[in-house]
Amino acid sequence: MKTPKRQEPAKVVLQARDVSWDWSGLPLRWIPGEPFASHLINVMHLLLPEGERWFVKVFSEALPLIKDDQLREEVIGFIGQEGMHASAHQGVQDYFSAHDLDTSTYVHEIEHVFGRLLDDRGLSGRRAEEWLIERLALVAGIEHLTAFLGNWVLNSPALDAAGADARMLDLLRWHGAEEVEHRAVAYDVYMHLDGRYSRRVRTYLVAVGYLGWLWIRGVRALMKADPGLGKKDKPRWRDLFRTKRRGTTPGYWDLISMSWRYLRPGYHPSHEGSTSQAVAYLATSPAALAAEQHGEA
Amino acid sequence: MSPAELVAVPDEPALGLAFRATARLVAVYERISAVSGRFRPEVVAVDRDLPAVVHSVRREADGVVGLELRPRDREHFPAWEPGCHLDLVLPSGAMRQYSLTGDPADLTSYRIAVRRIPGGGGGSIEAHGLAVGDAVVLRGPRNAFPFIEAPGYLFVAGGIGITPILPMIREAVARGDDWAFVYTGRSVTTMPFLAEVERLATEHPGRVYLRPDDLCGLPNAEDILAAAPPAATVYACGPPAMVDAIRAAVPSERVGSLHHERFSALPVRGGEPFTVRLHRSGRTVEVAGDETVLTALRREIPAIAYSCQQGFCGTCPVEVLAGTPIHRDRCLTDQQREHRLAVCVSRAEDELVLDL
Repeated sequence: MKTPKRQEPAKVVLQARDVSWDWSGLPLRWIPGEPFASHLINVMHLLLPEGERWFVKVFSEALPLIKDDQLREEVIGFIGQEGMHASAHQGVQDYFSAHDLDTSTYVHEIEHVFGRLLDDRGLSGRRAEEWLIERLALVAGIEHLTAFLGNWVLNSPALDAAGADARMLDLLRWHGAEEVEHRAVAYDVYMHLDGRYSRRVRTYLVAVGYLGWLWIRGVRALMKADPGLGKKDKPRWRDLFRTKRRGTTPGYWDLISMSWRYLRPGYHPSHEGSTSQAVAYLATSPAALAAEQHGEA
Repeated sequence: MSPAELVAVPDEPALGLAFRATARLVAVYERISAVSGRFRPEVVAVDRDLPAVVHSVRREADGVVGLELRPRDREHFPAWEPGCHLDLVLPSGAMRQYSLTGDPADLTSYRIAVRRIPGGGGGSIEAHGLAVGDAVVLRGPRNAFPFIEAPGYLFVAGGIGITPILPMIREAVARGDDWAFVYTGRSVTTMPFLAEVERLATEHPGRVYLRPDDLCGLPNAEDILAAAPPAATVYACGPPAMVDAIRAAVPSERVGSLHHERFSALPVRGGEPFTVRLHRSGRTVEVAGDETVLTALRREIPAIAYSCQQGFCGTCPVEVLAGTPIHRDRCLTDQQREHRLAVCVSRAEDELVLDL
């Protein structure tokens, strides 16, 4: 039996928050005794700076196509939040690079993917517009994954129990909360500019399949580059069963059921995660609070 | 491959086979997107304007009028929840934002209240001139002050800041939540909706604290927070100094967190006017002393990309081709500042040429 709940705020105005962290003293494996889970999450620091800057570029280019003032306002908020996510993760990446974790080969691959393979490809006219909309649809698919992960990290007390670094948890939860807050924007833009189910399915499978492949490469690269790990410490598929049981990562079944939800015809992102919970976290996040004082100063 | 071609792609990395294969696949994928796009439906423009008419005008306090607005082209306005605000487009075309302060269950009308701000750009003065029957356009509502579930609430309003707070209190009352309300203002005659607040005080003894400055002195955060029920969340709206003082005192023993309305653009003060020339279009844009470069550019390029309007998110910087910029951002490095400008906050000493 559910108690009567306060009505979920329908749509909140999206605004970037001017957050920053001091990473000094952060261990590479910031969940004690969990090299696999730590590095699985650390992939984000390598993948997202380029990836989210690419989101910013794609959505900035899409602004002239949007014929809905309210949606355009939401995209403007979305862009700023994504830009801050990119620079926040870049901060961790820079800290890692300065502390004997050489991931330059992998980062170079990621730059190649987002900066060259997925840029405007020198197209013009109708071809350029279609390629832009294809990429918007890819982002709509990825945003479902990020909303899922955001919702997961806001509801993962096992990370606190495992003694994970508090600053890193704040970064992940601030990012996760903003992903939940803006989870409908990319999808709504796709529905406004195209909306066909076939393209939604196609782009989701491509986006999440390819991102999954990059993620696996990232975990391998990180665990290989970590000077504190030996040759035997390689990521194994079964590690995810163990970390899921412990609650320090989502599991395979979570990923399958998440994908199933996006592929259902009646999908809307508002069913994934809770705006109230995201807003509540952002009102207590140490970095978001410091950003407000910074903003007023 | 000739040496010249090798030079043309200097940063092409020694990527593995997997990435070379990916490059081919992406090229094929782009073709698929082009074919798929031929069958893409036309984008339908969405008109979000809500034509409305002033149904009643009521004086709510010294210098404050309450306006009841009704729809002109439909039965009901869109739904809203406590914390939402509206854009009100006045007959002159000026646009101002006001919190909704009526009853969310009654969508036959919206209620707002406007404080007259002499010298505040004229919007509030024009709104005060509105009479019953005048036509206006509304946009929204949207929520920059979401009201969410908490174990208890302390509501704090300063003067006209009561407008978003009232619907929150009514909802807390309807749900049987634990709450308290501190209402401050210069004097009782300047505090709007006093009759309604007094009714709340009678119906819910011990929960409402009226604190006019002329009787109680200037409020401090400690006194305000002392009214909070245990483990309360604060919802505050009022003068910036009041909200800042509360923020500095939260979290405290009784209060977990503070929620307040977040605004993006800050007013421009003490700016000098100057001209911006757009290199690609050849047009010029005049930037007034009290507006940002971004505001001026948006008149010429409505879909220009920007976001935070406070100089930190890094969306808006554009290439500077000539001129002497005055940088006020927090996102560019010194090196980037040599040729880029964050148009949402930065200005220039003289004519500026931008690559737009």
